[in-house]
Amino acid sequence: MGANDVSMIKAAHIGVGISGQEGMQAMLNSDFAFSQFCYLQRLLLVHGRWSYNRMCKFLSYFFYKNFVFTLVHFWYAFFNGFSAQAVYDTWFITCYNLIYTSLPVLGLSLFEQDVNETWSLHFPELYIPGQHNLYFNKKEFVKCLIHGIYSSFVLFFVPMGTIYNSERSDGKDISDIQTFCLIVQTSLIWMVTVQIALKTTYWTMISHFFIWGSLGFYFCILFFLYSDGLCLMFPSIFQFLGVARNTMNQSQIWLSLILSVILCVIPAFGYQFLQPLVWPVNVDKVFDRINHCKTRPPQVRVRTKLKHPSLRRSAYAFSHKQGFGALITSGKTTKTKPNKKNSFPVKK
Amino acid sequence: MNWGGGGRKLMPDNSAMKQQKLPAHQLHFSARVVLTIFFATGVFCFCMGVILILSAQSIQEIEVCPILLYLFFWYWGLNPGGDVYMYYKLYGFYQNHYRYVLSRSNNQLVGKDIMVRDVEDCAPFKVSQNKTPIAPCGAIANSMFNDTIILSYTLKSSVHIQVPMLKTELTWWTDKYVKFQNPSLINLSDRFVGTEKPPYWQAPIYELDTSDPGNNGFLNDDFIVWMRTAAFPTFKKLYRRLYRVQYFMDGLPAGNYSFNISYNFPVTRIKGEKSVVLSTLTWSGGSSLFLGLAYTVTGAFLWLASFALMAIHMTMKKKKLSYRR
Repeated sequence: MGANDVSMIKAAHIGVGISGQEGMQAMLNSDFAFSQFCYLQRLLLVHGRWSYNRMCKFLSYFFYKNFVFTLVHFWYAFFNGFSAQAVYDTWFITCYNLIYTSLPVLGLSLFEQDVNETWSLHFPELYIPGQHNLYFNKKEFVKCLIHGIYSSFVLFFVPMGTIYNSERSDGKDISDIQTFCLIVQTSLIWMVTVQIALKTTYWTMISHFFIWGSLGFYFCILFFLYSDGLCLMFPSIFQFLGVARNTMNQSQIWLSLILSVILCVIPAFGYQFLQPLVWPVNVDKVFDRINHCKTRPPQVRVRTKLKHPSLRRSAYAFSHKQGFGALITSGKTTKTKPNKKNSFPVKK
Repeated sequence: MNWGGGGRKLMPDNSAMKQQKLPAHQLHFSARVVLTIFFATGVFCFCMGVILILSAQSIQEIEVCPILLYLFFWYWGLNPGGDVYMYYKLYGFYQNHYRYVLSRSNNQLVGKDIMVRDVEDCAPFKVSQNKTPIAPCGAIANSMFNDTIILSYTLKSSVHIQVPMLKTELTWWTDKYVKFQNPSLINLSDRFVGTEKPPYWQAPIYELDTSDPGNNGFLNDDFIVWMRTAAFPTFKKLYRRLYRVQYFMDGLPAGNYSFNISYNFPVTRIKGEKSVVLSTLTWSGGSSLFLGLAYTVTGAFLWLASFALMAIHMTMKKKKLSYRR
């Protein structure tokens, strides 16, 4: 498109430039540029839709994991004299968002696909949630918040109940604050890992590596930070000497962890199963049809690109100003074509 | 104007990663898988809960609240076989308060920096009134539990024997042998020259147990147990273990017992309470029923939920099929 369209591209939310005969300015100023108008279909229906999906999953997961992480302190305040004592080791607080949970969510937002490109093109109705802002709005945010509050409640009270009046199997101390911190931290990491594993529908090798690798990395760093060598070198900075070793060999700790994860994840899992059954939206019906088709032998006819020069219309310019779009797409501005004579000779 | 050769560089590579065509598995939970997961998890949780409850019920525990009584007689009707552990339990003592938890010097406790030169967290228990450093510094050490509890068994009508108790191996191995170290193994009192005892203590740190150098100074078991701050305001800490000799080979026999307690630790000032607990143990720890009950309830709930979900799924499937027709 021409140089006079540059301001329109810049003003739009997403500017698309088509490179062609009229110069490079439009293309250079656009967010996306390609060479043919028909590629717009893929941009919208495949990549745009995937991008919206990924963004919404990323946002709701990110808010959720930080709600759980932070709200545990709200419950603990009632038990520590409201003195703002943290429920986690300070090093865990530093590493949580940066190291332990950053890669899985990055993998989710780069690679996630709910349906593959063939189905995306075949069912344009799947684009509707993006237009109506269905996947992340105030209601979804509130759902995320409620799930976070409930998870933080479980994450605090299950470990508390486990160690409250308890000892180790050899009679020694288990209800100290460092053990409690360790249990809550580990339960939290497991919980958010399982949650993102459930949210990820498209499992590449990279997703496996990011998700399970982050979990394993957490344990490696845990044993490193709580090791004798490091804690003896800097006793006032690394204070959790021996906590991991002394706690991880107690069965009640692992049982408490398993229970916390089950209690947090199962409601979300059940809701994910129930919602398309009992309160389906239009998109769920499409997914249903897709799953139905997948179980049958593939008979999908993908629309092939037919290029009839006679059907090609002149280029559209979609204006960013309200009002003209409806006029242009109504078709009233295009010339009506006279009826073509049948070009094939008829045998008489 | 055409692109020419330079335009090719703008195109992304045709690799699987950049074209979003990585080999992958599309995860989709069918109804059968979801219901199986619910059912199996329910069964697992229920069984686990029953096992934990049975294990917790097998513990025998007795709690005695000797408030302002120096001597307390009671009849132990049960006969707990095996190891018996004696704990002191405190109510309303906030060892998890933010400022309290900070108030220690790990450098000092590991034997490196007895004079506590660069730690401000111990204030106001860092230096005494005449500016000598306190060893061990901090509020945690200062508030150490200092009651003495002696358990006696009535052998015959007027013969009371003291139940033999062990005062070592009460702590985590890593605490005793790595985290807490004395500045030297011999002549402990010389190494602590230039320091003072904390204000609330009766004896200095190197006189906590003069009979056993492995239990003296920073290595004293009672001290280490106290320094492992509790997570909640109600907690119990291991005080002594039964020494299974003579009459107590199989634990505490049935009979009359009494406590002789020197009441030093002031709980009434902080509106708290204290008590003594005698308890046996099991593989799952203490006598708390919480985990067992939580598992049982979760298991039962999941099991019921799996049936409910199955019912909903069948109803919806029938409806869908009837619509399709």
